[in-house]
Amino acid sequence: MSFLEVRDLVVAYGAIQAVRGVTFSVEEGQVVSLIGSNGAGKTTTLRTVSGLLRPVSGEIVLDGTPIHALPAHKILGMGVAHSPEGRRLFARMTVEENLRLGAYTRDDEDGILSDMDRIFDMFPVLGERRRNKAGLFSGGEQQMLAIGRALMSRPKLLMLDEPSMGLSPIMTQKIFATVKELQSEGTTVLLVEQNALSALALSDHAYVIDLGRTTLSGTGRELLADPRVQEAYLGEGVAS
Amino acid sequence: MLSTLLSQIVNGLVLGSLIGLIALGYTMVYGIVQLINFAHGEIFMVGAYGGLAMFTYLLPTALKNHWYFALPILLIVGAAVSVLVAVAMERLAYRPLRGAPRLAPLITALGVSVALQEAVRVFYPNATAAVPFPTIFVPGTLIIPIGDGIPIKYSAILLVVVALALAYALNTFVERSRMGRAMRATAQDPDVARLMGVDPDRVIVLTFVLGGALAGVGGILYGGLYNTINIDMGFQNGIFAFTAAVLGGIGNIRGAVVGGLAIGLVKALGGQYLPGGTAYDYVWIFVVLIVVLVFRPQGFFGETERVRA
Amino acid sequence: MTTIEARAVPTAVPRRGRLDGLWSALAPRATVLRVLAGVLTIIGTYLPWATFVLNEGPYPDKATLNFFVDPLGVTGFRLHLLVIGIAMIVVALLGLPAAGRIIRGLGWGTIAVAVINGLYILVQGGGFGAVTASDGAVAFGAVVALVGGLVAVLGGTAGGLGAKPELTWRLPWWAEWLILLVVFAIVLFLVAGVLTSGGQGGVVNPYAGAVFLSVLGALGGAISALSASGLLTWVSAVSERHRIFSVVVLLVVALLLPLTSAGTEYWMTVAANIGVYAATAIGLNIVVGLAGLLDLGYVAFLGIGAFVAANLSGAAASEIGIELPFPLVMIISAVVAGIFGAIVGSPTLRVRGDYLAIVTLAFGEIFVRSAQNNIGGLTGGANAIPNIPAVSAFGQSFAAPLTIGAVKLPSGVLYYVLIVLLVAAVMLVFANLKNSRLGRAWIAIREDEDAARAMGIRTGPVKILAFMIGATLAGLAGAFFAHKTGVVAYDSFQFIQSVTLLASVILGGMGTIPGAVLGASILFVLPEKLREFADYRLLIFGLALVVIMRFRPQGLIPDAHRRAELAPDAEDETPVVDVTT
Repeated sequence: MSFLEVRDLVVAYGAIQAVRGVTFSVEEGQVVSLIGSNGAGKTTTLRTVSGLLRPVSGEIVLDGTPIHALPAHKILGMGVAHSPEGRRLFARMTVEENLRLGAYTRDDEDGILSDMDRIFDMFPVLGERRRNKAGLFSGGEQQMLAIGRALMSRPKLLMLDEPSMGLSPIMTQKIFATVKELQSEGTTVLLVEQNALSALALSDHAYVIDLGRTTLSGTGRELLADPRVQEAYLGEGVAS
Repeated sequence: MLSTLLSQIVNGLVLGSLIGLIALGYTMVYGIVQLINFAHGEIFMVGAYGGLAMFTYLLPTALKNHWYFALPILLIVGAAVSVLVAVAMERLAYRPLRGAPRLAPLITALGVSVALQEAVRVFYPNATAAVPFPTIFVPGTLIIPIGDGIPIKYSAILLVVVALALAYALNTFVERSRMGRAMRATAQDPDVARLMGVDPDRVIVLTFVLGGALAGVGGILYGGLYNTINIDMGFQNGIFAFTAAVLGGIGNIRGAVVGGLAIGLVKALGGQYLPGGTAYDYVWIFVVLIVVLVFRPQGFFGETERVRA
Repeated sequence: MTTIEARAVPTAVPRRGRLDGLWSALAPRATVLRVLAGVLTIIGTYLPWATFVLNEGPYPDKATLNFFVDPLGVTGFRLHLLVIGIAMIVVALLGLPAAGRIIRGLGWGTIAVAVINGLYILVQGGGFGAVTASDGAVAFGAVVALVGGLVAVLGGTAGGLGAKPELTWRLPWWAEWLILLVVFAIVLFLVAGVLTSGGQGGVVNPYAGAVFLSVLGALGGAISALSASGLLTWVSAVSERHRIFSVVVLLVVALLLPLTSAGTEYWMTVAANIGVYAATAIGLNIVVGLAGLLDLGYVAFLGIGAFVAANLSGAAASEIGIELPFPLVMIISAVVAGIFGAIVGSPTLRVRGDYLAIVTLAFGEIFVRSAQNNIGGLTGGANAIPNIPAVSAFGQSFAAPLTIGAVKLPSGVLYYVLIVLLVAAVMLVFANLKNSRLGRAWIAIREDEDAARAMGIRTGPVKILAFMIGATLAGLAGAFFAHKTGVVAYDSFQFIQSVTLLASVILGGMGTIPGAVLGASILFVLPEKLREFADYRLLIFGLALVVIMRFRPQGLIPDAHRRAELAPDAEDETPVVDVTT
């Protein structure tokens, strides 16, 4: 039994089905990526796993418990944190307040403070500007804060939606390095990325989602080598 | 001349504190669920009637004559009645409509408003006309010796002090506490607030509880100041309070209080100095409302850009 | 490396309801249940409903054990139940395509009739006299009929509602004309019957409210059954094919109402008042229903029209002491109201949504306050403008009875004719606008204002036009109102009247003509009938708004476009009757 299992997921916005048969699983301690083009249904899938959307049909099982009928705050309580697409920080709140909201469900003040320090160690720039409003930060800094905020709930499974979106290559590298680091500390990571190359390079396992369906799966390495993936998602000249 | 001006300013600030107190409920609910809770004025009215009922029918006569007993009890009961009604209203009328087109909850709010007003009129004894309200504080008037003297009732001083203290306390709660942070997060981005583990239902109920409590206290203070209450008080003051909330930038707590004071001053000074006198003082408030909504809908303290449309 | 085969995923998943188990358990016995429902309803009809004479004398059509004396001798609500019960059995045995749906509709009707009459008898008897043994007799009529109704709803739903059939019969034109004539004649007698059912409310006639509600309940059941059978849709398709014929016949039929049982001064006045509010509601429907702009101060335009007319009527109390001919007065009233409409509408250039609603409310309040203070001496303030002379033409006062040859018509009949023509004109304007370029622009704005602008619609002027035209229609109605009632006072134009008008648009169905007329009729007839509940009128009204928004936001007669928008679950419509009970 995998840590997270998603089976035959169908999700619709009104009459429009955004996801029409997504199946994948995430083993504990792995980094798993969902890749695919814009509008393929990756974000919708994550939003459904975290409880923001209700599936029309299909199953989502976390550690043996079906969670697809639970509200978002219950799912968070079971150890799933979701850092949404576009970061969506609370722009009018300070870094500290954003992090405290990440720890909203916890009431161990000491633990919260030490976790906050840990995040400031990981991203020193956040520590320096802890009392500044999040809206004033650069894209990379915002992404760090978004990841930090998601980590504040001490998740077993961290879901990151497009963490590299709009970032410089250097910043992208830093974010992916952070993901690797988190994995080494024992966090399971589910990554949604359009930047397929970097995502696949770092993933233990990956799935291709196309038009709302999972079409291919394999290890990151296998998919990197697959001609179909290369053609569709990696562009020219990366096959070597 | 000067003393007329000053006493009108005093009148305006007293009424303005009351309106600000009610406006807090409007502004919080709009900030969280984007609903003009039309029935909020009736929550204020219901609090006054609830407190009065307790005072008239339940409170032992021995306690009625000592304001330091009667006043806290009245305030608590008034707030409690308002909170109960506000929470029931949210649960039964508004919650089932979440996600419905925006006109639906607004029309529901109108219906709740009419129903609450009528329920009091039909079921409260003699509520068809104005009902006398006891003096709940030190009776009498303080005269400030400027010019011909500026009168200010002790109960008016009480109203201003309590209203400003509650507004300050609310602001502190929202800025500092964990639940307050959850409220602000929900107002800014409800989806992400859910991802943080915030239960939106709890936040919404809390919003109605806080707004209801403030309105209930306001109802009691209003009764104590004017010594009479009537079923129209909610509609009128509710509209004023909504105007105040918009004026101060809806969703903004400090703005609601400042907006309330501004509306109070418009009414007092407009009734004194503008053509038509007190007969038209309501009209000036509505004129202000229209002008603000048309030319500066974000209010004077609102952010130019709201997170959500 | 795995390629994942696309598996077939069901595209439409049936809705899972809490009652699924119940329905599937009952399904095999559906026909039995349906017949049983009919039988129970008939038995309920013939059982006694009251074991005593009510305080105010025998309740109309009080049932007693008279079956053996006079087997078919039932009248009033029991006659309605008998017909419904027989219809249930017939439909169940014939196995019509939408039998389940039809029987469910009839079931709701039975429930409404049983509950209304049962409760009324119970309350009037003070206690449970109607359902306990008394004087050696047992009065279980209401209970049995109620059970019959519930069984019908259960049985109807359990066996599958069945799709509403689409009837495509085409007949020769003369046959279709004949059918339309018959249908409209039936409508005429139904309207007259419903209007006068229970008689004039008030102290002398304490049963008016109960009888009227019961008739409404039965009628609601019948209409939802007819609608389920597809016949209503077919008839409306036929009348659509013969549009002009239908309109003419409908107009004639409306003008014939004074010749029916409703042809008394009292009912003519009620009908004229309904007409005023119906015309105003249609105007409001342009603003709210078509353009999607919520107006909470709309009654002010009716008021402006009325005050303008009052001032030009030569009434002694009016500031402007001139008297102009009525047609001219109507035009001036409409124009003035239209100008104010443009003024009130102008903030729409900058303000949207619920903020706009508040702006219109503020304008409405400013109007009432100003009128209350007798602004410019034009409104009479608290004294109102009384003694506005009646309209007269060719020496015939509209307020006096009319004799044409041997036919004597009651007072007010000319006003009735006038308002029918006015409402017809307003309907015509509405219908033409709705299908015009302007109407499509309004609907586009209602659906998505930004998209409308992107498509090249100049939204600003188009929105102001909505306010202007709506206000003009209200102004016309206002001029009529001033002369008909003879007194114009500011308190006829308060916020609660605006809410009532809005409610009639919503109750009837936003964006539809029959909706606005039906809504206005219900909201302005009910208070006439329910005088003994006058105290509770607004309370019930407020609660009704909440309930409608919760359970049937699309109104009684939904607009085809709007249906999708306001009711996510249009497949499973709640029956029409539950709003009237």
